[in-house]
Amino acid sequence: MLSGLLLIPFLGAMALMLWPGEPAPARIRLAALALLVLQLLWSLRVLLAFDPSIAGMQLQESLAWVSSLGLDYRLGVDGLSLPLLLINAALTLVAAFASQAVSERPRLYYALLLVISGAVNGAFLSLNLLLFFLFYELELIPLWLLIAVWGGANRAYAATKFLIFTAVSGVLILGAFLGQALFTGVVDFSLSPVLSEQLGLTSQIVLLIPLLIGFGIKIPLVPFHTWLPDAHTEASTPVSVLLAGVLLKLGTYGLLRFCFGLFPQAWAVLAPWLAAWAAASVLYGSLAAIAQRDMKRMVAYSSVGHMGYVLLAAAAATPVSLLGAEFQMVSHGLISALLFLLVGVVYRTTGTRDLDVLRGLLNPERGLPLTGTLMIVGVMASAGLPGMAGFISEFLVFRGSLRAYPLATLLCMVGSGLTAVYFLLLVNRAFFGRLAVTVPTDPVADARLDIRLPAVPWLQQSPAILLTLAVVLLGLIPGLLGRLSEATTTAMAQLATLITAPGVLR
Amino acid sequence: MTVDPSIVRSGPMPTALELADCLLRGDTLLADTADHLIEVVDVLASYGEVLDAYSRNLIYQAEQQFLNPLPIFRYLDGDLSFARLWRHLIHDRINFEYAEYCQKAMLWHGTGGLDAYLDSEAFAAGCSQIIRTKTRRDPLLALLNPLFPGFVPELIRSAATTHALGQFWRVMSDLFLDLARAEAAGEVSSIAAVVAFLARGLGAAAAQPISYGVELAGEHFWVLPPEAGLSFLADVAVPYVEAVFLRGMPFLGTVSFNAQAQQISPDQQRFCYGALFADPLPSMGAGIPPSLLMQDMYRHLPERLHSWYRHRGRADGDVRVKICASFQKSMFCVTNAAIAGTMPYPPQGAPGPALEANRAYAMAWGARLATARTDCLA
Repeated sequence: MLSGLLLIPFLGAMALMLWPGEPAPARIRLAALALLVLQLLWSLRVLLAFDPSIAGMQLQESLAWVSSLGLDYRLGVDGLSLPLLLINAALTLVAAFASQAVSERPRLYYALLLVISGAVNGAFLSLNLLLFFLFYELELIPLWLLIAVWGGANRAYAATKFLIFTAVSGVLILGAFLGQALFTGVVDFSLSPVLSEQLGLTSQIVLLIPLLIGFGIKIPLVPFHTWLPDAHTEASTPVSVLLAGVLLKLGTYGLLRFCFGLFPQAWAVLAPWLAAWAAASVLYGSLAAIAQRDMKRMVAYSSVGHMGYVLLAAAAATPVSLLGAEFQMVSHGLISALLFLLVGVVYRTTGTRDLDVLRGLLNPERGLPLTGTLMIVGVMASAGLPGMAGFISEFLVFRGSLRAYPLATLLCMVGSGLTAVYFLLLVNRAFFGRLAVTVPTDPVADARLDIRLPAVPWLQQSPAILLTLAVVLLGLIPGLLGRLSEATTTAMAQLATLITAPGVLR
Repeated sequence: MTVDPSIVRSGPMPTALELADCLLRGDTLLADTADHLIEVVDVLASYGEVLDAYSRNLIYQAEQQFLNPLPIFRYLDGDLSFARLWRHLIHDRINFEYAEYCQKAMLWHGTGGLDAYLDSEAFAAGCSQIIRTKTRRDPLLALLNPLFPGFVPELIRSAATTHALGQFWRVMSDLFLDLARAEAAGEVSSIAAVVAFLARGLGAAAAQPISYGVELAGEHFWVLPPEAGLSFLADVAVPYVEAVFLRGMPFLGTVSFNAQAQQISPDQQRFCYGALFADPLPSMGAGIPPSLLMQDMYRHLPERLHSWYRHRGRADGDVRVKICASFQKSMFCVTNAAIAGTMPYPPQGAPGPALEANRAYAMAWGARLATARTDCLA
């Protein structure tokens, strides 16, 4: 059943590329949408077959591949990966739907989207380290192409930077995986934790650090974050949706599954430092977001900040915090995708994302009232207001981490407050006041400008509306997700009983 | 940053001198085009329908809700049927709040004979009589009046302005509807003809007397007696233009003004927040009265103009902004007619004191209108 989540996108991408003749872009788009709807339905089929009461891997599929290298085709799903599979399916569909403006090389574009989606599915489902690495690397080139070919004016720089950073991330992760085999002498590459009986604590730490940096680049955590704002700024809206909504989650998933899962003892030693790192990342991301003038860069820096919560939760490693980490991954996926979609609408309509220029977009008649309304809901959710997904995730993370790392948690809470600051700045500048899309000069002359923004049809905004509903639904009925993940995250937290080292911030 | 020119447009902004020259030459402020004719005539037809409702309601309020401490049904014109109440509650109604806003602007920016009379001893004497009679049967007023002696006279001033505005709009409503009929009959076919038609209408009603009386306990009392000698043009129309077209009130749109930072002139005469200066964009927000008027005009929009709007901008999506722009064009025509009708001497006379007086008058108007929304005139 799980292989279907690989076959649909990969075979679909192949079919698109091999489609004979020169099919019309609209037909290619329709075919891609149909394939992604099929993928979503297949993910829902997995959801129906999933038993939430089981903590371990389910629906496993196994096939010997290159066993001599330790590379086996082994797939499985648990409460950690299933929600991420679901948001991958949903957000790839959203990204494809939001790609209506793509007219250049549509066949390649949609094929790359499908490859990325399949690779992400593969990474979340892999029960073999090398298989995970293959899928982890597989999404790299398509995403690089999506930025380099369909990106903005400075796309070459951003795409190359992304490629270099992520390639280094891959090298570090592969190095850690191979190092594990080298140090333990067992070419297994399974997801079993490495304990001190097999490998000394120092060696574990030596392996964990490159793994942390590798995934830290992908998440990204400060100071390895600099590729993300550039990539987002130059990427088109659908690519930003995928990048923020899904691809960053590969990093946090890797953090929980491999860093914490493979080296729990070393993790316990480093956990206080990781909590400090999380707080620094959250505060830096939030403060940097305040300083931004580009709406997209602001949302990108908010991702840097909000991903830090996941590291804090993982460092605390309590049942509540790990459930919070899962919630944070899902809610950040939905909220950041929503915010990037809306910023995309603003950019497409006005031709700018500059907060020094945009004003009054909430104007009911000539502005973008629906976009503005959804943006307000989105930023409220991101700032963690009750009733929305962001609140549940932040509450669980903070509640679960406070006792273990009170200072780091409090600093992260400050970061949460700063989210409200920069997003209120964004909403206040861009959406309130007199409608304007030019640099303010003379107030009288500015008030005489006749702004004629094209209306945005409801259909184009439907993905954003659905994401908003999902954010509110998850905020009101968190049990929908909690029920799926609780058994798994609770079982993972049992590893935390191994944690004994006193924390620097404790 | 380059902005798509199709998104942002900036209309011309004629100088005070150019506007004054235009007035002196006898040209219309609004460019004479076929589109402008449709906009002005049809929006005034719609405005005429709305003013008819406003006028009836203001007169009803002043006469039937006089000194009513809780006038919660004042917008129902005495029709307390369930159907009317239901239509009111689901907002299938005219926004009479806009009429009240204009009345308050007139009261606050009081100029001319009406304002002078409201501060006169004759008016105060009339008020005393009314208050004496009213407080006999109204314990609330009997309690409030000695505590706050200025309160009830102010309510009566407000009622007097309400009635006067109702009478003014009665005339204007008929004039605008007549204009639409004249245009349909082919008698008016240019902006110049529209301005001339309006000037003739204003001139014909100029001397019409303004008076107002109320019935209390079966007795008739004058609030604005005929002996006060108040007339349509000088005592109501001109103060109305001053208060509503020119001065207005600053706390309206989405642009905030900081009074403490001297962004609002302490001199009311220098206010420029009226209809001719209003930004058409901040519409349909809570507490922004002009958008209420646009909504009311939208309900009565002639099909010709509605169809014209449907082919422009966001069609019905930004129709209120377009109505506001057309409304400002029509108000420039009314202002144009009022200026032409009140020039000290006939235009285009020979050089001499008469021309100088006209020039000074035109320059004064040019200076006032220079910062108005003249971008719509081209």
